[in-house]
Amino acid sequence: MTRVAQGDAEAFSELYDQTSSMIYGLAVRVVRSEALAEEVTQEVYLQVWRQASGFDAQRGSVKSWMATMAHRRAVDVVRRSQSARDRELKVPADGPVADIAEMAILGDERDRVRAALSSLTDLQFQVIEMAYFGGLTYREVAERLDTPLATVKTRIRDGLTRLRSTLGEE
Amino acid sequence: MMDEMHDLVAAYAVDALDDSERAEYEAHLADCVECREELARLSDGAAAVAETVSVTPPPQLKERVMAAVREEGATNVVSIDDRRWRPRLWVPFAVAAVAALVLGAVAIIQAFAMNDLSGPGGVIAAAEAAANEPGAIVAEFATDTGAVGQVVLTTDGEGYLVPSGLETLPEDRTYQLWVITPDELAISAGVLGNEPVPSRFTWTDDVAGFALTREVAGGVVSSEGDVVSVVEL
Repeated sequence: MTRVAQGDAEAFSELYDQTSSMIYGLAVRVVRSEALAEEVTQEVYLQVWRQASGFDAQRGSVKSWMATMAHRRAVDVVRRSQSARDRELKVPADGPVADIAEMAILGDERDRVRAALSSLTDLQFQVIEMAYFGGLTYREVAERLDTPLATVKTRIRDGLTRLRSTLGEE
Repeated sequence: MMDEMHDLVAAYAVDALDDSERAEYEAHLADCVECREELARLSDGAAAVAETVSVTPPPQLKERVMAAVREEGATNVVSIDDRRWRPRLWVPFAVAAVAALVLGAVAIIQAFAMNDLSGPGGVIAAAEAAANEPGAIVAEFATDTGAVGQVVLTTDGEGYLVPSGLETLPEDRTYQLWVITPDELAISAGVLGNEPVPSRFTWTDDVAGFALTREVAGGVVSSEGDVVSVVEL
């Protein structure tokens, strides 16, 4: 990362190789359009290039720094397009296809992700899936599940904490 | 209220706040060490979720990214590793209007704004009075060519910057003042314009130093590293 901060294109290329599957995969999952996901990914890497010198390892890993950036952008894309739709504007055919009310992941992939996140309880998985992959706010999640806001916040926090401690054990 | 804010950390970590709550929470985050630590932990958890959906991107995407980066050039990435201070702002806590310029995730803590105190003369007089208060910090920005400004900060948080002989920058550039906190965060204290006048700011927390940088007009989130002068206390 230090080398990237110094403008080392080769180090940047290595960083891309190590992280692009995570960034692109996350973007595809959230925006549900390959074209938009490519845009999000490209913007994230430009941002990394510009701001690498501001990265502080004491505040977390490169991966979580980048995942945070990518997720924020992807969610903003989804929400913007959602609100455009709410205003009954025409959404390009290429735009995110599904209503974010729909489940974020479907079918086999959902099983696979569920297995990878097996340390979560079903209830924790459900809220994290809806918020993280579905781009819903915790208020929307609470509404859809008819669950108190405080419960939703607690489930997200407990779930993320559990995932983090699972990582620590590896 | 405070507790309510703490409670939002997990929702913030998964971007599950709406715009207004997000802005409120980011204002809180700028002041709350506990939340920043908690957020770092929770973000690791969120990254673990992200990894479960990894998909190899099309190969031409890498070509495009590398081309974009080449176009950007290395000039935007000035290393200031050789200085003891560097901006360390990656956690997304954004507050100010300047943050609107910002590419989504990265951070500015525009904790307060520079403002006039009935014209530059008034500010100079106020700064002199402040410098004479017991316990006031008085620090000087200097470069190879001599002093370029003085910073004064009183114990009750009144701060002043009085520039002296700073060269005027082109209109698309600006000076920016940063407070360096004891944990080495560089917090923007104000965007000074290309031709700075004496200005006032407030800062009530601990301070380990100040930095003066040149940035693109409008100010930046995270310094590009074009440092004019740094004062460590």
